Amino acid sequence: MNILFRGKFALIAKLVILSGIAAILVLLIESALAKREYAIALFLAVSLAALCYTYLSARTVPMKFFLPGLLLLFAFVVAPIIYTVVMSNFNYKTGNIISKQEAITQIKGLGVEPDANGTTFDIVVGRTPSGEYAILVSDITNHIYFLSTATKRTDLLSSQVKLNDVGVATAAPGFTLIPPVKLAGNEDYSKITYAYADKYFISVQGVDVGAVFRQSLRYNATSDTFQNLLDGKLYKDNGRGNYANINASGDVLQPGWRAPNWFSNYGKLFSDRQVRGPLFRVFIWTIVFAASTVLTSFAFGLLMALTLNRPLRGRRFYRSILVLPYAIPSVMSILIWGGMFDTEFGAINNILGTHIAWFQNATYARLAVILVNLWLAFPYFYLISAGALQAIPSELLEAAAIDGANPRQIFRKITLPLLMQILTPLLIASFAFNFNNFNLIYLLTGGGPKDQLGGQIAGATDILISYTYQIAFGSNTQDLGLASAISVIIFFIIAGISLYGLRKSKVLETFG
Amino acid sequence: MSAWLRNNLWRHAISLFMCAFALFPLYLVVISSFSQTGSLQLTSFIPRSISWHNYSLLFNSPAIPYLTWIRNSLVIAGSVAILSVIIGASSAFAFSRLKFKGKKLGIQLLLLVQMFPAILALAAVYVIMERVYRFASSIGLGTQAGLLLIYLGGAMGVNIWLLKGFVDSIPMELDEAAKIDGASPVQTYWLIFVPLATPVLAVVALLSFIGTFNEFILARLFLVDMSSRTVAVGLQAFIAGQYSRNWGPFAAGSILASIPIVIIFLSLQKYIIGGLTAGSVKG
Repeated sequence: MNILFRGKFALIAKLVILSGIAAILVLLIESALAKREYAIALFLAVSLAALCYTYLSARTVPMKFFLPGLLLLFAFVVAPIIYTVVMSNFNYKTGNIISKQEAITQIKGLGVEPDANGTTFDIVVGRTPSGEYAILVSDITNHIYFLSTATKRTDLLSSQVKLNDVGVATAAPGFTLIPPVKLAGNEDYSKITYAYADKYFISVQGVDVGAVFRQSLRYNATSDTFQNLLDGKLYKDNGRGNYANINASGDVLQPGWRAPNWFSNYGKLFSDRQVRGPLFRVFIWTIVFAASTVLTSFAFGLLMALTLNRPLRGRRFYRSILVLPYAIPSVMSILIWGGMFDTEFGAINNILGTHIAWFQNATYARLAVILVNLWLAFPYFYLISAGALQAIPSELLEAAAIDGANPRQIFRKITLPLLMQILTPLLIASFAFNFNNFNLIYLLTGGGPKDQLGGQIAGATDILISYTYQIAFGSNTQDLGLASAISVIIFFIIAGISLYGLRKSKVLETFG
Repeated sequence: MSAWLRNNLWRHAISLFMCAFALFPLYLVVISSFSQTGSLQLTSFIPRSISWHNYSLLFNSPAIPYLTWIRNSLVIAGSVAILSVIIGASSAFAFSRLKFKGKKLGIQLLLLVQMFPAILALAAVYVIMERVYRFASSIGLGTQAGLLLIYLGGAMGVNIWLLKGFVDSIPMELDEAAKIDGASPVQTYWLIFVPLATPVLAVVALLSFIGTFNEFILARLFLVDMSSRTVAVGLQAFIAGQYSRNWGPFAAGSILASIPIVIIFLSLQKYIIGGLTAGSVKG
């Protein structure tokens, strides 16, 4: 057995595994650097160094045990948390997704306008003898032909060109045609602006059409500004991810880029009426939802635990049926409940003999959410209540009975207080869990009902976490910055609740 | 009224009522899976005819790669379960048994990090994996390998915490004896701790398996391809459409996918409750 831990065999095995992992990491670092993902490359490099140091040195015994877990935890839990905090301070939403460099390129591309007549020409693409891309342009109505490259336009006489059967020039001196099939997948030629006249140029619109444009926005790299060449307006970097008109700050060029906007996402939560109103409503419902879920499920769970606490014929049978809702994968049972609440074909209306549109009405939808969560959660509360009841020493109850207390008094004065002492941390943990019960809301009601056409993002049953999801990934504007800010706030709420629960359970004292 | 009635009748009444509540949706799914109407309607409590149509659809329809979904779920959840326990157990051992600087801080940070609900960092995970995809398309966004890594990272916090509780309960004397006999920490881990903890590790692995099997939203965001989906994401797509809600195959697929999970769950009941409470109530 010892051969596995000491000696040559162990050493060689270790080196082989380690160098395999190192090789993969080096490859990843290389490709990350090639794509300029410096932060990720840095993390991978640090991981590599830590792995080598830890497993090749004899002085790092504890590290040998927890380094793999630590690295995974950092990469996929801690780093996203840090990233969330960083993003929450960025203007990072639809229209401000790309980097500044990409935004400048795109604005330049968009800052053009066609000439007054919207002139287009038939073209063929080819090369000059020097290898430069060129287009052979034909005005088939006026019989004008010319050759154009990025820098120069060369007019040609009708006699110099060879026309095809629709009158488009396909051959000329100093021009080698590239057959259109060979242009497929090649985008370089279409990015060039070919010379036309004056400030105008020809832009390729497919393999056989060119249109006349002129630049309307010009970028000045030294002053980092865009100027509108038509009306003279000057656009400057406003420091928040857009080029804005220096005279009218609301007039910005699209697209913008992601840029830091220090705390203004947090400010928005409290000052922007369009954000504050729904957020407040959602927050209240989140608390109502989490609290009523815990209360109803605990009440029913405790009721069942008390009912089945003493021996009863069929107790085991009841018990195994009661835990079933908790054992079924919840994704499936939530979806099943969703189908049961269907207006036309659902079993609920079917049995009640009603025709209620459950998920179209705010009150009904909320009731449905709480009912479904009661079904999902009461078995858990039943199990923990049953466990806690068993943990109460029977001597206490017997002593109380001897002292003349009636069953009701025993329950109220002894059983319940002891039970609550055991269960309070679990109730708090359950509150925290339901505070973020994303699956239930997302799969059952999708947060609805809501006025989607009216641009409403927060629905009547949306809780904070599902609302945040809508902000980040919804079909309207996607605002990752704002969503991250809300996430950070939710984290503080949950951390507060959890720390309170932990203090109650005294787990913090047992550290060490 | 006799004493038996007074004592037991109401208890049976309550139990039967709650059992009916618990069973009703499940009964409905079973009926729907054998019917051909395609809705979750209760036409009668006892089905008039039994049709295997929905089940055969799952296995024979080329549009429904049900077996592929099941295989994906099993592979992903299985790998997460095994790997996360292997990695988590050694971390838990270090936190429980070895002495090193910053241990207390480490545990407190672990606890804090665990409180940040994974779903809150969803946007960040998404953006990071999108970037990873740009240079390593085999582990970035949209790949099962990438999803696996995220699950592993997410499982660390809970598993280390859970396992540490179990390690703490193994008597210290055993390690000390091994130490006196000249065993290194690595040997103590493999020769003393792992054999002793194997049943516990298996339980934690199974819990991890159930948790990953049930995970929906990350899988939904990550796995776009029909053939790379997990069973939860695949089945949800049946009924996600506004107009073409197809409950029949969904019901049949859910039942088949749930049976193993329910069996694991029921056989591990006592550990699951223990595990659920170990994180928050200790000492």
